[in-house]
Amino acid sequence: MPFLNALGITKSFGPVKVLDGIDFTAEAGSVVALLGENGAGKSTFVKILAGDHDADGGEILVGGQRSRFGSVADARAAGIRLISQEIADAGTLTVAENVVLGAWPRRLGVVSRKEMRRRAAESLARLRAEIPLNRLVSRLRLGERQMVEIARALAGESQCLLFDEPTAALSDVEAGRLFELIADLREAGVAIVYITHRLDEVFRIADRACVLRDGRISLDRPVAEVKTTDLVEAMVGRAVADRFVEPADGPAQRAEAVLTLHEASGDNFAGVSLSAAPGTVFGLYGKVGSGVSEVAETLFGVRRLAGGELRLDGRAIHLRTPADAIRTGIGFLPPDRQGQAVLLGRPVAENLAAPSWRRLAGRGGLMTRAREARAYRRWHDALSVRSRDDPDQSIGTLSGGNQQKVLLARWLECGSRVLVLSEPTRGVDVGARQEIYQAIRRLAADGTAIVVASSDYEDIVAIADQAAVMVRGRVVAVLDGADITTDQLTESAGGALSVR
Amino acid sequence: MSDSAVTPGPAAVAAGGPPAPEPPVGRVSTLARIPNSAALVVFLILEIVFFAANSPYFLNWDNATNILTAISITGVLAAGATLLLVSGQFDLSVGSGVGFVGLLLVELQPHLGTAQAVLVAVAGGIAIGLLNGFLVNVLGINALITTLGTLAIFRGFTLAVGEGQNIAVNGFDWAIARPFLDVPVPALVFVAVAVVFALIMSFTVYGREMYAIGANSNAARLVGIRVKRNLFLAFVISGLCMALAGLLNTSLIGSSSGTTGTGLELAAVTAVILGGTSLQGGTGGVFGTIIGLLIVGVLSNGLTLMNVDSSWQQVATGSLLILAVAFDRLRANLLSGLR
Repeated sequence: MPFLNALGITKSFGPVKVLDGIDFTAEAGSVVALLGENGAGKSTFVKILAGDHDADGGEILVGGQRSRFGSVADARAAGIRLISQEIADAGTLTVAENVVLGAWPRRLGVVSRKEMRRRAAESLARLRAEIPLNRLVSRLRLGERQMVEIARALAGESQCLLFDEPTAALSDVEAGRLFELIADLREAGVAIVYITHRLDEVFRIADRACVLRDGRISLDRPVAEVKTTDLVEAMVGRAVADRFVEPADGPAQRAEAVLTLHEASGDNFAGVSLSAAPGTVFGLYGKVGSGVSEVAETLFGVRRLAGGELRLDGRAIHLRTPADAIRTGIGFLPPDRQGQAVLLGRPVAENLAAPSWRRLAGRGGLMTRAREARAYRRWHDALSVRSRDDPDQSIGTLSGGNQQKVLLARWLECGSRVLVLSEPTRGVDVGARQEIYQAIRRLAADGTAIVVASSDYEDIVAIADQAAVMVRGRVVAVLDGADITTDQLTESAGGALSVR
Repeated sequence: MSDSAVTPGPAAVAAGGPPAPEPPVGRVSTLARIPNSAALVVFLILEIVFFAANSPYFLNWDNATNILTAISITGVLAAGATLLLVSGQFDLSVGSGVGFVGLLLVELQPHLGTAQAVLVAVAGGIAIGLLNGFLVNVLGINALITTLGTLAIFRGFTLAVGEGQNIAVNGFDWAIARPFLDVPVPALVFVAVAVVFALIMSFTVYGREMYAIGANSNAARLVGIRVKRNLFLAFVISGLCMALAGLLNTSLIGSSSGTTGTGLELAAVTAVILGGTSLQGGTGGVFGTIIGLLIVGVLSNGLTLMNVDSSWQQVATGSLLILAVAFDRLRANLLSGLR
């Protein structure tokens, strides 16, 4: 029988209509997989079910009764809990304290530590997770923290559990335990909603598949009746992103690779090979946690190469620090612009010139604003940075997309021959995204070898001449030219593990 | 990846979207570019006007050189502290360092001779800097904790050896000379040090890198800056400042004791913060620090001339520091609110 019924749910953020009339049912003792692209509205929808967001319209029935959740606490009282994508734990507290967080067992008004430990041990045992109860959460691996998060949801009596991409941070073994747990919960009559990007998981654990696209349900059928291709089609629809630039043919395509990675292994990846040639863009695509960002960091000396070989112009190189990589002519755009790239509060020209200071200063070692300003003006127009022609303005006054262009120009001024771009369009708006694609293609056309590492297939489809798809630390597919399509990428990244 | 509502779908992108709108830059950047120190300069001028009106002895060349001399020892230390703070680091051991250097000098000079004793004393200051730099950058101990520790250690050393007595030094009175425009040597040295630091911080790659480290040390590393090496050097430079301040102080007073230099670390940090260098690093500079030093120096000089008790002067200085930092926060909030 349906435990949870959502009827005609709508939700807008500002002018953006995120959910446009969602009808959805979760039955007791059944697992529904909720699928959809980034931005399809999946997380928003489950947050509404969990009382974290208010719907603009529509209604929610719990056990046939109309319900209205004003808060997460209301939803919990109704037996509904969300295990969110973003881990929200208290790092300075222990595992046991985190499991009972917000529901401390009390005796005579005082927290009973004995009861707390008992409940925490019980929850973790259901997950078959062996995590010491007294360890500080800040000292756990990401996957272990995710398990603690799930254990917290189990600590209360829940009739409906909403999982938002729970396996993104889990190892295969941990994911396996989670699936066993979900099977147990299903047996016990709990209604389960499971958001995932991994199509193999749908076939493994779900009874029904439900696909969201552009704020509507585009597919809702029993898993037994659908194939992988049905799901991908329902997720992507007809609006498949066009390739932004046709791959350059002729000499550029055949140019010798400057940077090659051969059978490389390192943090979170193994057996990865790729090569970047002048004038081309190599795309490395994989979901968060697939090892893509680690490969990018390794190419820039942020992480050490554990095995395999990195060659520049045919010579093996060993990068111990980013400074080493810069010296050999490699530039890097980190994924977290605010945290890793921008020198906030410093002038935009200084931000652009930073890696080139020593060269700009010349023999005398003196650095002047005028030299930085010249460097800024050199690239301001070339990359069509939209800002006032004022090298002294703080970088914070530029929009995200324009900051990103300044950060690209940083490496051009530095004379980098190889650019490694990690999540180049994260957090920039639609228009700026196009301009960044244009800028990247133009750099390639000027003879730079580019590696784009991204968890956003749009990036890869739009600009890559060659692409590799990574799943859990390994390359599972290599695509060339016209084969780089949304369907191909999504299917390789999601479906490749169905035979595990 | 977040599944947030604002992430654009593929259909929107494929269409070759409209150009990004101009960011609202004008108002914010005009405000952001008012130098932080402008308000402080105004404050300093008000202070000078106030004391000039209230004391007949305040506004003359003699008293001006007095103020400059009074802030010179703190000023030399504050120059090093400014370099450290723009990169987000602290050195609280400078007060003990001054005492340690002074004691080395007065204890060794009778045995080794002046030149040798000075060499050893300078080496002592550099050694403290090396120790701090090692602990912070190689062992990775927080700078505040490290230098609180070395503050106690070297104060302890100095007290143990000096036993609280004032030890006089002979033939080491170069600092009381007034070689130029009737200005004493310490004031001239301070001006020279300030100019050198201002040049280093504004016009050398090293200076740029220190600001970058303070603004975002992650990003600094990713543009190839050797963060630890730079910070290590800054701690050693701070040690050199201790040595210079210690020598100046000993020569000016003609003696040193176990308690010499107590509290100088706070006076130096006060001036730096008052001068607008952010506690998080990334902004500020020597010019602001000089204004900060002058605000405190003029205040204490003026209050003394007005016969205000020195205990109350401390109350005034403390209040001033909080006021200035509160003002800085308010300004920062205002700016980020507009962004």
